Order: sequence, then C-alpha cells, then structure tokens
Amino acid sequence: MNLVLFALGRLASAIPVLIGVTIVVFLSVQLVPGDIALSILGRMATQDQLEALRESMGLDQPLVVQYLRWFGALLQGDIGMSLAQQLPVAQILLPKIGNSLILMAGSLFLVLVFGFLLAVLSAPRFRSVTDRLVVALTLVLASLPVFWLGIVLLYFLAFKWKLFPISGMYNVINPGGFRDLIHHLILPATVTAASSIAVVARVTRSRMIDVLNEPYILAARARGLTRRQIVLRHGVRNTLPTFASIGGLQIGYLFGGVVFTEIIFNWPGVGLQLYDAILARDIPMIQGCVLVVATVFVLGNLVSDVVVHALDPRND
Amino acid sequence: MTDRSAAPARRAPRRSNLYFVWRGVLGDPVARIAAGIIAIMVLAAAFAPWIAPWPPNAANPELRLMPPGTPGHLLGLDNQGRDILSRLIYGARLTLVCGIVPVLIGAAISIPLGLLGAWYPLLGGVIMRLMDVLFAFPMALLAIMLAALMGPGVANMMIALVVTLIPYNTRVVYAAACLERDQAYVEAARAMATPDLKILFIEMLPNVVAASVVYSCTIIGAVVITAAGLSFLGLGVQPPTAEWGIMTSEGRSYIFNAPHIAAIPGISITILVMAFNLLGDSLRDSLDPRTRLRLVRTAKDRT
Repeated sequence: MNLVLFALGRLASAIPVLIGVTIVVFLSVQLVPGDIALSILGRMATQDQLEALRESMGLDQPLVVQYLRWFGALLQGDIGMSLAQQLPVAQILLPKIGNSLILMAGSLFLVLVFGFLLAVLSAPRFRSVTDRLVVALTLVLASLPVFWLGIVLLYFLAFKWKLFPISGMYNVINPGGFRDLIHHLILPATVTAASSIAVVARVTRSRMIDVLNEPYILAARARGLTRRQIVLRHGVRNTLPTFASIGGLQIGYLFGGVVFTEIIFNWPGVGLQLYDAILARDIPMIQGCVLVVATVFVLGNLVSDVVVHALDPRND
Repeated sequence: MTDRSAAPARRAPRRSNLYFVWRGVLGDPVARIAAGIIAIMVLAAAFAPWIAPWPPNAANPELRLMPPGTPGHLLGLDNQGRDILSRLIYGARLTLVCGIVPVLIGAAISIPLGLLGAWYPLLGGVIMRLMDVLFAFPMALLAIMLAALMGPGVANMMIALVVTLIPYNTRVVYAAACLERDQAYVEAARAMATPDLKILFIEMLPNVVAASVVYSCTIIGAVVITAAGLSFLGLGVQPPTAEWGIMTSEGRSYIFNAPHIAAIPGISITILVMAFNLLGDSLRDSLDPRTRLRLVRTAKDRT
C-alpha cells in the first residue's frame, strides 16, 4: 500500500517534467537557423509552398498558440509528418521503439549482471589483486568510446572470427525467431553496455565497501558467520538500493550509446532513425525521436525509483 | 592587512583545499602518469606544425590505406593517402578544445546559477525545476538534438555541449552553496550588512568553486567522448579537418580492408579519456575529507 502511494506520488511529479520535456522539444525548433519553412522545404520551394507550410504549421501564430496546438496533437499521438518519408512520425517510430527497447533490455541485463558480479567479486577483497584488476577493468571500460568499441568488436568478432552476424536484427534471407534475435543482439548489447557496466560496478563496489565496514557486519562476524554468508546476506542486501538506483540511472546513458551501436550494427531502432533524420534534416522526425527517448528515460527512472524504494530495508 | 612576520611561527599552517589537491595529486603516482599523458598530448597539439612529419591534409594517393610501419609514415595512411600520425597530432587540437572548453564555459555559467539559486530560494526553485527538465534528457541525446537542429559545426557543437553540461554542474554548485550558506562566516558577513552579491561572489565563491572544479575534472573524459561522438555522427567537426572522432568515422567505411584507420584515433581517444578519468578520480579523492588525509600521509611517507 505504502509502495503504491509512493509510486503514485512519483508519477505525479513526473508529469510536470514530461510537460517540460515537450516544451523543450517544441522550442528546440527555434534553434534551426533562418526561416524554418525554407530549411524544411529547401531552396527549390516556391513562395506559395512556403506560405502553405507556414500556415499548416501555424508559424504565423504566436509561440504559445503554436505550442498548445502542437501539444494537443501530441496528446492524440500525432507528432507531425516526417519530411523525408511523407508519413506520420508516430507511424514510422512505433515499430522502431520496440526494436530499440529490445536492444536496451539486452544491454541493461548485461549491465546489471556484470556490474553486480564485478562489485561482489571486488568489494569483499578490498585492495587485493582481484579488486585492483576489477578497478582497472572498469577504468578501461569507462574510457572506451562506444562508437569505437563497436567498430573493434565488429571487426574481430563478426568479420574476422565470424562468431556473430555483422549487422541487422534478424537473418535477412532466413529469419529465425528468438535464437536468431539473441545471436544478433549479443554484440550491439555488449558494446552499449560496456561503459555502464563500469559505472554500476564502481558505484556498487564502493557502496559495498562502506556497508562491509558497518558495525553490524562486525557483529555478524562475531556471531561466527562465514565471509560468504556475511557478503551474501548482509552485504548484498544493504547494497541493493544503491545498486538499483545506479542501475536505473543507466537507462538514459544506455540510450546515448544505443544511437551509436544502432548505426554501427545497422539495428533498425530509434537511434538509427534519428541518425537518418539528422542526415536528411528531417526536423519533425528528430523531435519525435528525442521525445520518445526522453519519455522512456523519465518513465524508466520512475520505475527504478519505485524499485529502490521497495528494496530499501528501512521501508519494510 | 596584518604583518605576516608577526604571526606566531609555530602555528599549524592553514591547509587550503588547494594544498590537498596539490599534495594528493602529486603524491599519487597514477595521477602523475595521467597528468603526464595529458601534458604530452597538450604539448603535441600546441606544437603540431613543428612535430607533425606531414601537413594534416597532404595526400599521397599512391600509398592510400597502407598499414602502420610504411616508410615515412609511422602509423600508416588513411583512405585518401594522408599520414595518420600527422592527422593525429593536428587532431589533438580540436579534440582537446572540444572536450575542455565546453566544460569551462559550462562551469562559468553554472557557478553563478548555483550560487544565486542557493541564496534566493524562489529563484533557486525556478532554476532547479528548469534543470530537472534538462535532466530528463540523456546527456548524449540532448547534445545530439541541439547540435542537429542548430546545424553542423564546431561552434554549434560546443554550445550544445555547454547546455548539456549546465544542469549537472549547477546541481553540484547548488548543493555545495546550500551547505556554505549556513556557515558562521556567512552569517557574520550578513550581520555586517555586506551586500548579498559580495557575500556570494567574494565570501562564498572560493569555498564552492572546489566542488565545481572537481566535478568538471571528472566530467572532461565524458565530454571528450561525447564531442568525438558528435563529430562521428557528422554534427561537429567537418571534414577534411583532422579530429579524432571524425577520423574514426572516416575509417569506419574501411574497417574490413584497413582497420588501422579507425583503430588508431579510437585508441588515442581511449588513452586521453582514461588519463582525464584517472586525474579526476585523484582530484576527487584529494578533496574528499574521508580520503585526503590518507593521500597526504602516504605522500609524506614516500618523500
């Protein structure tokens, strides 16, 4: 019950943020240099076409009216028309969102599993060789540019050793269900996850080191618990809230990486769509992609906040 | 103001934050190596015309795609037959500038924002709500959107990075300023009817700046990667200018027959970012009250 109330409260506070997001995305069009209608239609446009577009976009209205019109349409699922493809942005984006979420889920899975394993491996052995190796590994992982790691893994694992497919989501000639998807997913998900694994491992590790220095750990040792029991029962339990919150924060960072991995591995998601939209200067499409990602990010953080709240032993 | 020689000679020196930064970073061998790497890269960038064996855009099409070790071209040649080592040295300029300058400008904007926000609660509420909205965008995504809409180019990319950085740095400054606000010296200054702005920017600023500096140092690595990433997407530095992100991007089309073109600038970015991350970690430790004494002590033991 308590948890439901907390979740509702967080949801209520997320709504103004989401409205703020729509305002930022709406206003961002003002950054386009020069005449918006001209930059959308290109130099070849006639005066009549320009006028028609200005009118249909409501560019002759005050900004507030423009925003309210745009927001009203947005609530009905209308983000505008893609300039490059002449189709509604929402219609193009909808299937891509699912594809991106699959990639995100795969990377988040890797981030949580490996981030946690590295922390549990290193924290109880503070300053040992294992600990130092883990710290060094996280340092390297955190410093790798995702676009470069993608190229390197693509070259070695997919091109040279042929362990994984080079690009796409399914085998084009012979698409084969879930196993085929996982096979295609492993490389891009690993690349996306790399730097977030490092962040999660480092934060969780330092929290666990603090936890293991608490008096109740000493008390547990005095009661004769083995180190394994102490780490798994007390250490892990009290580290979980920190782990969940830093893990949840990664959702946004993962998306920053997803843009690059989708381009490199030709994964048909929102990131690749965003890249195509940038190249085509398809402004409504850019707005749509950003809006989708920011919304997923805000909702993801909301879920992680609720999970953190549920995991905190003090709220039992 | 006071005669310094009159001060008691045996009084323990007042340890400023700067002292701990200095002792902590210099006493930490890893941080020294990191600082050395950064210094070498900065020097190479500054003296590029004298160090680089070739001009960055001088092409020798006969030798295009040749691997590292080709006579006269230590790191090989790219798809147009340009010397990769020379482009790497020249490229360090924009790579460093695009990583560091936005952080500096971002800090210069965030510090007043955070200070004023902490001092005037109403203004603070407005500022922090605005920051909450910017926080709703993943860092890389906000930069990509802004740069994409403003159009490609180095200046626009830097503006995009600055906007992206402001919320993070402002939150750090705001938190530090809220702690300082309740200190006795601020109350004393207020009791003396010191003007608000003077309290903020003369009395409180030096104590708040440390937090911002440390945060800025830890973020430079991420900004270098983001800037290189924007150039990789074609939103930042434009060809044929040499910059590590765009060099990686240009090499991407040739990974299957000449992988070194993309590999070399990528390794350089990784090394630079690692150096910044190590230095940032060390700086943070040397200002953190829990760890800084240990650092200074070990530094003393060694000398």
